[in-house]
Amino acid sequence: MPTPYLQMTGVRKRYGGVTALAGADFAAEAGTVHAVLGPNGSGKSTLLKVLTGVVEPDAGEVRLEGRPLRPRGPRDTLEAGISAVYQELSLVEDFTVVDNLVLGVEPRRWGLRDRAQARRIALPWLERFADAFGGRVPADERVLGLDPGERQVVEICKALVRDPRVLVLDEATASLRRRQVEVLFDVVEELREAGVLVLFITHRLAEIRAVCDRATIMRGGTDVTTVTVGELPEQELVELMVGEMAAVGAAPSTAREQVRLEVRDLSGPRVREASFQVRAGEIVGVGGLQGQGQGSLLATLFGAERRHSGTVLVDGREVRPRSPKQAVRSGLAYVPGNRGTQGLALGRPILENMALPSLARRALLGVGLSRRREVEAARSAAGRMATKYGSLDDPVATLSGGNQQKVVVGKWFATEPRVVLMDDPAKGIDVRAKAELFGVVRDLAASGVAVLVSSSDDRELVEVCDRVLVMFEGRVVDDVHGERLTEETLVAAAMRVTGTEVGS
Amino acid sequence: MSTVERPRAAEQGDNAPGRATGVLRRLARDPIVVSGVAALVLWGVAALVSPAFASWSQIVTLLVLASFLGVIAIGQTLVVIAGGEGIDLSVGATATLAAIVASRHMDGSNEGFVGAVALALGAAAVVGALNATGILVFRVPPLVMTLGMISVVYGFIRLYTGGRPAGSAAPALRSLVGGDTVAGIPGVLWLWLGLSVLVIWLLRRTSYGWRLYAVGGNPTTAYLSGVNPRLVKASAYVLSSLFAGVGGLLLLGYTQTVFLRLADPYMLPSVAATVVGGTALIGGIGGYLGTIIGAILLTVLDSFLRVLQVGGGGDAPRQIIYGLVLLVVLSAYGRQKRLRQ
Repeated sequence: MPTPYLQMTGVRKRYGGVTALAGADFAAEAGTVHAVLGPNGSGKSTLLKVLTGVVEPDAGEVRLEGRPLRPRGPRDTLEAGISAVYQELSLVEDFTVVDNLVLGVEPRRWGLRDRAQARRIALPWLERFADAFGGRVPADERVLGLDPGERQVVEICKALVRDPRVLVLDEATASLRRRQVEVLFDVVEELREAGVLVLFITHRLAEIRAVCDRATIMRGGTDVTTVTVGELPEQELVELMVGEMAAVGAAPSTAREQVRLEVRDLSGPRVREASFQVRAGEIVGVGGLQGQGQGSLLATLFGAERRHSGTVLVDGREVRPRSPKQAVRSGLAYVPGNRGTQGLALGRPILENMALPSLARRALLGVGLSRRREVEAARSAAGRMATKYGSLDDPVATLSGGNQQKVVVGKWFATEPRVVLMDDPAKGIDVRAKAELFGVVRDLAASGVAVLVSSSDDRELVEVCDRVLVMFEGRVVDDVHGERLTEETLVAAAMRVTGTEVGS
Repeated sequence: MSTVERPRAAEQGDNAPGRATGVLRRLARDPIVVSGVAALVLWGVAALVSPAFASWSQIVTLLVLASFLGVIAIGQTLVVIAGGEGIDLSVGATATLAAIVASRHMDGSNEGFVGAVALALGAAAVVGALNATGILVFRVPPLVMTLGMISVVYGFIRLYTGGRPAGSAAPALRSLVGGDTVAGIPGVLWLWLGLSVLVIWLLRRTSYGWRLYAVGGNPTTAYLSGVNPRLVKASAYVLSSLFAGVGGLLLLGYTQTVFLRLADPYMLPSVAATVVGGTALIGGIGGYLGTIIGAILLTVLDSFLRVLQVGGGGDAPRQIIYGLVLLVVLSAYGRQKRLRQ
């Protein structure tokens, strides 16, 4: 049997006491699109970071075209033809797009930067992705002015400008719009034809089926199996990933008669005249194309963004939070869209993160804390969320992504919220953690809480929500429920194909 | 801070010798342990050079000297933990202000003692409130704001005293700082102990302390969890000035009379003691126990340099060396901060 194009054998990596990779093997051929799948904490990101030289393995070998690769950093792997795109962005905001694309590989002439040559390298890729930028070529625009999806596309172009033989896309599609993903997949097809190996990490099954040839499934730091995607039914793929557990699955609604949250003509920085109601026990989704004001709607309700006009009633009483602090007092809870920068103090212990919103409730005279009581409260919240942790005194950063998100949600239990606002809570967490998370959301709803949840994944909304509000340019343009609640309707409504305006 | 890099739970399964070296390694990375060992070693060397160092009375004197720095650095620790590039360079000027106000109103008698203390601490709190307003309302960077505040405070002192500070410490204050009270240990050390227990309790076992760490760790998260980060930060600056004021009063009790730049030498050391004790300049990490050790370490170093009389006596060489050590310490820990990000 000939040696594979890329071969990794016996790769091990420990972070302190946590084993990220326990002797993983991996092989992939040139000219294929190869998915690396697995739950959070399964080691797939670490494996690819070993390949790109970001992480130095404790043991193991990487061979590219049969030659051993011992990178001492991303620069070395870049020379070997390996480029990577991560979910976190690495762009310089004040630079133009072209300057960002050639950053680190600037063409030089007599020791000076050769701008004309830089444009010659960068422009073809930007033109190729013009559709992803809404038809324009933002070569001379500063990155500062681009939206998150566009920035991610620039990031992808940056990897492509380096003319890679191996392209790593690590959750690179998470913040992309549908159209942008389509353009990317067209390009990926071309790269495959040209003999490039594309390694692809994503949590979206549809994307795997659409573009991947092979898939390696990882669990617990080792590779479980490698399969040919086309030969395997979707359900089996999911089962391989999560082990014994299935996907979220639908459940009967727990909605009651009583209206818990009523919003009338709410306007904010990126929300325009939104009106809707959420009943006690109801889970209402907020969908639509990415960046249509979904996150802003939730933040405005929570007092984190300034409300311009409109009325909000919780259980019939008007609430006007001018800060999250007041919102918490009115019985609202908020799970922000970015757990690292908004949801958690990553360096602080799990215990403190869990306790933060409800500290005053347990404190003697609002001041004195008892460690025993804090630990009990944190333990019970963590238990309700089935959070896996070593010690409550460990920094929350030591948890896997899914378990971190459980802390972001779990910390609100003790405040006994009546309305829970969640901004894309399942972004970037694995199928199993997602199922557990939404299981808890359902329990919350069953206890009478009104839940408003936005998501970038239409399937998630269909499975979890009783009703989905579709937003477009800051307005609620559709209210999809009952028989109509399918992925197809949501997509159509988001693109305003069937858009019927709803007033409430 | 070492726990950030080394999760503890997973190590429990290790075999005994492995765990022992693990514990040792963790201790070697714990800034409190490192500073404590450094202080002991330095003290030991000093005792070899000059045996007087090992005497009980010299140890008490060292601790008394450390207590002034330690009390002034309480507020510095709070401000640094609160994050947002938090630093309070005006602690020296504020301490001087409190001492000067108090000495003028005490004027060597016990009669106006309470009023003088209240007035002195009130003046200090005003400085803190001004710092907080500048930093949180007008968004002046803390370094710039508190640096600028130094000249404002000294300008005010000149206006207030006409350039010649008046009065002296009340006898009560003098005996509190200098006189023996319990078990041959001066009152100021008992006071420092009491304040230390209070501050450590404040940081570890009150909702305020946990909010302070949360704000320093991630202000956005704190805000979105229902905390008012600006209020928490503002209170840290006011507390910083208040504790600086207390430090100034203690200094007054020690020196008995005041002069214009009384507490100036405590500005940089208060930052260095905080940082050496493991409170990270990025905020959200550290505690007061480390600052205590840091204050003792710096005081031992200072006294040792005095005993050595480098450059044939005189204060200048000692000042240069001490200043260089502070710079090295601060830049070394500053670099560590960048590494972590």
